[in-house]
Parts: sequence; structure tokens; C-alpha cells
Amino acid sequence: MSESIKIIEKKTVPSEATMIIGLPDVGLVGLIATSYIISELNLEEIAYMESDLLPPVVVLHNGLPHAPLRIYGNQNLIAVISELAVPAPAIYKIMREIVNWGKEKKVKNIVSMGGIPLENRQTINEPEVFGAASNQELLDMLKKSGLKTMNEGYIVGAQALSMRYSVSKNVSAIAILAQSFYNYPDPQAAAIALKELSKISDIKIDVTKLLERGEEIRLKARDIMKRTQQEMNRMQKSQEYDLPLYV
Amino acid sequence: MSEKQKKLSTFDSMEEYLEEIEALANELMAKAFPQGPSWNTETCCLNALSNVFITPREVIVTADLPNVELETLKVEVLNENQIDIIAKMKKKVSFSDLGICHRSGEFSSLHCQGRVHVGIDSKKMKISYKEGILEVRFPRKNIHEIE
Repeated sequence: MSESIKIIEKKTVPSEATMIIGLPDVGLVGLIATSYIISELNLEEIAYMESDLLPPVVVLHNGLPHAPLRIYGNQNLIAVISELAVPAPAIYKIMREIVNWGKEKKVKNIVSMGGIPLENRQTINEPEVFGAASNQELLDMLKKSGLKTMNEGYIVGAQALSMRYSVSKNVSAIAILAQSFYNYPDPQAAAIALKELSKISDIKIDVTKLLERGEEIRLKARDIMKRTQQEMNRMQKSQEYDLPLYV
Repeated sequence: MSEKQKKLSTFDSMEEYLEEIEALANELMAKAFPQGPSWNTETCCLNALSNVFITPREVIVTADLPNVELETLKVEVLNENQIDIIAKMKKKVSFSDLGICHRSGEFSSLHCQGRVHVGIDSKKMKISYKEGILEVRFPRKNIHEIE
């Protein structure tokens, strides 16, 4: 079976841009946050992914077909989202392609947004956000900006691979991870992740509307959350609860 | 039986064995994540996302119930293994509200069922609801303490 994978560009792609990745994952934090950036900043669809590794699906918006994994952008920002739970076996090739494409477009850095599953999330009013970085310089920058960093622990899935491939390609990469529900959509965690993103970048977004629409988003996101949970189970996402051993 | 036939037969039985495992895994996945819509137009219900956690002493069922009227919330223990949760939404939601125009229907409640595979003491059920998340706790039955 052919396993072709390519990013088709529809419009001019900016260079030296920040690339935000928000694929469906824990609490859909990254997807909700990145989709909100796209709509608030009115970003245009500039590219999409075509691959046999993704299910045969198109998403209709205003009657027109769109690829589920799409890339939006303006002069200084690129945002990658997927309206489809990325199949676990495909995640390696998909993330490698996204990072390689980012490198080709000379992105300034890659910021992967996501959630950290918290068992007692319902008891927490304001989730905390933690950062991780691909090199010491970036890690110091996160700390100086007031972002807590994740010193020890596992990251599993798209954020992990974005970090791994970025290191090997010598691309600066950051992960912004908000404490969230594991398998319930968490718009509040997404809003808090966006607030923290504004501390370390020029992306300043007012999250009021996102919080106001929280309940509506939770209702609409049930299906993609359910399918994402299946894929998270396949990629052993629960390993993020584990304690690493490094003596 | 020739040596070649023996090898083929070993491979065949391994393949059969793997196919059986795959079928079983698929069956388990289908049970855990049933295919089908997350709504029911006959009962006017949207399926709520839910979880069941079994700890050594408790069974905790949670459900994501945004936008519901708390006074309409009903938690019912159907039998030893099944818990039914339903609540009316503050505002009815139709397919068109969700941007879908090729289906028709309106939903007034969120509903889910949790399956529990250990004994629970339903009389000691404790319910809490915060920020749209319902949490129901049951002590487990038949816990023996060593004196």
C-alpha cells in the first residue's frame, strides 16, 4: 500500500514565522486553543496535508470540502490543526512531515499546544500551565517569562514527536501544556494555555469569547473527543502519569 | 507430512492465532467505544462523555454535563452493574444550532450510562457537581478488613 504523505500549499507560506501545532489530544486543549487563534486572527488556509495514512474523510464547511489536517497562516504565524483524531500508527510520519515542512519554511520556532491529564481536574479552579523546550536557551527564556517548566516527566504523542524531530532538525521547539481533563474537552484549559502563550510570544489573544462559549464547545466536541480517546489509548497516552527513572 | 508443509502449517496456525487476537481486540474496542451517533432523536438526548474509575474502596463515575439544570439531574442505579445519568439542558440544542442542516432534530437532555464490574453500595451514593462535571461516588461492597 502506498503511504504517501505531502503538504499541498494553496497560498504563499510565510518564512521566519512561528508555527503553532494544535492536534487533537488530551482535553482537546491544543486543538481548541489553535482553532481559536485561527478564528480570532482571521488566519487564511494556506496549505493542507494529503496522505493515505489519514482516513478517507473530507470536512464540509459552508458546503465546501476541506482536508481534515489543515494549515492556516498570516505574515508571521502558521497554525496547524486537525479536525480528525490522528490515527496512532500515522502520528510518526505526520509529525515528521510537519516538522520537515516547517524547517523548509524556515520557521522561527514550533510551539506545540496541548494538555497534561490531571485525575482531579474537576477540583481545580484554575489549571496550571507548564512549558518544555528543545534547548537550554529556550528553557531559560520560558522561565524568565514566568512560565513554569516541566522538569521531569513523560510527554506522549504529537507534542513528544514535535519535540523529538525538532531537536534532530535543529529547529527551536516549545511545548505549552495546560493541566486538563484527560478525555473531556477542556476550553478553560485552552484559554489558560493561550494566556501563557502570550507571555512568550507576540500572539496576544483575548480569551473572553472562548470562555463564554465553553459549554457550547464542550457539547460540539464530544465526538472528536471520543475518537481522540481511542487514539490516545493506542499510543499509551496514560504513560504521561508515569514517573520517569533516571538515576 | 513434509518439512515444508510442517512450516507452512506452523505459520498458518500463528496467522490464525494473530487473526483471532485482532478480532478479539476489535471486539473489545467496539464494546468500549460503540460506533454510532452520539445523539438520539427519539429520546431527544445527546450522549454525554463519561468515565468509571474503580479504586480499592470506591467506584467513581464522572460525566461531562455542560449546560444542564442541576435540579433535573437524575442518577439511577439500574442494577448491580449499570448506572444511568440524565439531566435536562438549560436550553434545547438543535442540529441547526450545531451548524448541521442535513439532519433535523432537537435535543433537550444529556444522557449516559456507566458500567461497573464490581459490587457497589448504592445506598451510600454521594453526588457532587462542579463546573459542569458530575461526580458520583459509591463505596465498594464486600470489602473485608484484616483486624
